[in-house]
Amino acid sequence: MNSESSTETKEIIVQFKNVSMEFPGVLANDDVSLEIRRGEVFALVGENGAGKSTLMNVLYGINKPTAGEVYVKGEKLESFHPSVSIAKGIGMVHQHFMLVPSFTVAQNIVLSKEPRKSGFIYDLAKANEITENLVKEYGLKVNPKDILRETSVGIQQRVEILKTLYRGADVLILDEPTAVLTPSETEELFQVIKRVVREIGMTVIIITHKLYEVMAISDRVGVMRQGKLVGVRNTSDVNERILAEMMVGREVLLDKLERTGKVGDVKISVRDLFVADNRGLPAVNGISLDVREGEVLGIAAIEGNGQSELIEAITGLRHIESGEVFIQGKNATKLSAREIREEGMAHIPEDRISTGVSGPSTIVENIIIGKERRRPFSWKGIHLRKSSIIRYAEDLFKRFDIRGAGISTQVESLSGGNMQKVVVAREFSYDTPVFVIAQPTRGVDIGAMEFIHDKIIEKRNNGAAVLLASADLDEVFRLSDRIVTIYEGKITGHFKAGEISKMDIGYYMTGDRRETGDE
Amino acid sequence: MNKFRIDYSYIASLFISIAVALLIGALLILATGHSPGEGYGAMIEGVFGNSRVFGNTVAKSMNLCLTALAMAVAAKAGMFNVGGEGQLYLGGLAATMVGVIMSSASPIIVIPLAIVAGAIVGGAFAWIPAWLRVKFNVSEVITTIMLNSAAIFFCKYLINGPLKSTEKGVLAATENVFAFKLAKLIPASNLTTALFYSAGIALLVWYVMGKTTLGLEMKVTGENPKFSEFVGLKRDKMMIWSMIASGAICGVVGMMEVYGIQGRFTENISNEFYFDGMLLAMIMNYNPFGIIAMSFFFGILKIGAYAMELSTGISGEISQIIFAIIIFLMAAQGGFKQYFGGVFGKLKARDEERRIEMEESLDDMELDGMSSKGGR
Repeated sequence: MNSESSTETKEIIVQFKNVSMEFPGVLANDDVSLEIRRGEVFALVGENGAGKSTLMNVLYGINKPTAGEVYVKGEKLESFHPSVSIAKGIGMVHQHFMLVPSFTVAQNIVLSKEPRKSGFIYDLAKANEITENLVKEYGLKVNPKDILRETSVGIQQRVEILKTLYRGADVLILDEPTAVLTPSETEELFQVIKRVVREIGMTVIIITHKLYEVMAISDRVGVMRQGKLVGVRNTSDVNERILAEMMVGREVLLDKLERTGKVGDVKISVRDLFVADNRGLPAVNGISLDVREGEVLGIAAIEGNGQSELIEAITGLRHIESGEVFIQGKNATKLSAREIREEGMAHIPEDRISTGVSGPSTIVENIIIGKERRRPFSWKGIHLRKSSIIRYAEDLFKRFDIRGAGISTQVESLSGGNMQKVVVAREFSYDTPVFVIAQPTRGVDIGAMEFIHDKIIEKRNNGAAVLLASADLDEVFRLSDRIVTIYEGKITGHFKAGEISKMDIGYYMTGDRRETGDE
Repeated sequence: MNKFRIDYSYIASLFISIAVALLIGALLILATGHSPGEGYGAMIEGVFGNSRVFGNTVAKSMNLCLTALAMAVAAKAGMFNVGGEGQLYLGGLAATMVGVIMSSASPIIVIPLAIVAGAIVGGAFAWIPAWLRVKFNVSEVITTIMLNSAAIFFCKYLINGPLKSTEKGVLAATENVFAFKLAKLIPASNLTTALFYSAGIALLVWYVMGKTTLGLEMKVTGENPKFSEFVGLKRDKMMIWSMIASGAICGVVGMMEVYGIQGRFTENISNEFYFDGMLLAMIMNYNPFGIIAMSFFFGILKIGAYAMELSTGISGEISQIIFAIIIFLMAAQGGFKQYFGGVFGKLKARDEERRIEMEESLDDMELDGMSSKGGR
């Protein structure tokens, strides 16, 4: 981290002067003035909807501010378009990646600035070479020839970052970059950020709502609330608690979750399971585990170690090579997702956008689907009874605190947190005895996270068996009664809550490597 | 368009697009040395001028409506059926064979049987690409296009080969069918009692797609197949049956063409009817209500253009151009909205949430409003 005095003296690279951004009926940015200096890591924090992304979209040229001015390297931005901002050296990695799934990693990186042979022939070999050089230069490991679709989100994020670097960005905006990353990937990303700042003097603006990340990586931090910039501090002058208070405007503590009830019968039983990944390579290599009623079994693993495939196999979304899965005592090894649900399992999938919702459908439709043939929502399973459906959906809409313009809002227009609440509302209202939950709060703000955690524990206290997989170690520790660690498709450790620290569990999550985490 | 909401901006875009297209059509008529008034006047005259032409227009609209609904049924569940033309041919052929074989039976038996035969054969023929898609992930777009040719050439083969008749291009023994021709509702026009069958099918499709659990499940499956599987819907079945339903409707259209209009089975039983229907379905965003409501307008355009060409010499292709411009504008509407709005719609919606938070009371009022006008 740079010392305070050194950043003070550095030149201002980006300046917002009284920027306001008004959407019809909404003031998303309210008179924001902010200076960002060359060579610093600036963290912008705030709850969902606080206007962080909107402000950065102004800088990146996606939004044209309704009032105020933006200066980059002393020059005023006269027009707002990404091409203008990119030309001025601004690069942005969005929360939802903007990549071409069928292209290779290298093709994605050079896209829009492709190397050419004799003027017009696409030079693929050169593209691969460029990518390899970028990898060497910045230490972000990717394989140039991999097809993007087949790579993990962590890799895709690296591709996004390399793309902006290739285009010559010297101000890099990262919109919630760690929401999709594992602890070790986060650590790697931070190493890269530190390196590009120190060695080539880049400026990094990181949008986040994970406060410990702010403390770990940033030199200065700006806090936004309801469109206003409520304060800018040197990171060394604040702590997580102060930032949290600034963010929500009140004191927040993640309350200790109250646990009641007794552990009962085994509800999920996995025996010696082998599962392959999309490429047909072994992902789960002989895992056995039991989840009993009234407990949360947490899976702690670094992404790509087979936990996703394990979850998909248990929920009937992936073919099982060998081994058996029992749900409530019934052999579910060969059952489809539909049949497993009928056995009494609800499931929150790891990727809500691709699997957990139908984006173009409304909130009502997303909530009711799966129950539409039951009474009182239909007449004999045929005719939809709109009034009962609407009443039911509005009740869940309120109880699950979904923020949107009403139940007929399209789900794809909701923020991540609210979209996730729609998924939770649907799955939790099935009232099944078994829940399989993956990444329940990925990319979700603190308020929604607390809410979802409460709901999960409520289910547990009422006797549900919960299998939880999360890349967020804090979450695994907060919710689980027991924790298993998985490394390369095998269980490497099994602990009761409180038996092991976050520090020590990293050892089991990495096989024989000791984690150098910042916990 | 949405099940629990009317998309007013879509309707506005549609009418603006139509107006712009008609305006450009007028300019084109002007460019050919005629007056637009004369051209469009002839069009109106050719559609409403007498009961015969009016009957023909209604018949054409009916045909458009059903083929468009056939497209929409498949598209809602995520299947892009380009093979309606072939399904129409084979359905028509099967229906014809019923009349040919049962030439001495009563029409009360023959007509329903012909409808059922058309539906079964059309549906069965659509099952092939659906099955290939679900089982082997073969693109139904490609297979349906290819099966069109297979079906049409099979009919041509029959007409010119084993079932050759004395009249060129007509299937042998189809004169038997002539006796079963549907009664005309307007004398000398193409409008027959097929109107009632069509209305029945249209109502059924509208009801199933808009009001039933199955319709909702189809919609969700079409929008996100992965989600459909995840949430426990019978995704594969849904995709296959939507395609079968689509093919069945096309088969019935073929039947009506034979029994309602032509009275025999010819090489040219369909003049790319299904492709006109596809365009209408796409313009109306696969919304059954919209398709039913707008099919008459496009029927007017089709028949009117033909009349215009006959009476004024202005090329009937103008109607194709107007069609194309509407489609172009509707396809571009998202882009136009973004360009003129200056912001991303999604961002707008996301920040909308903030406004809701700030104005809790207003929010409640809105919710109440939504629920009361919930059903369309």
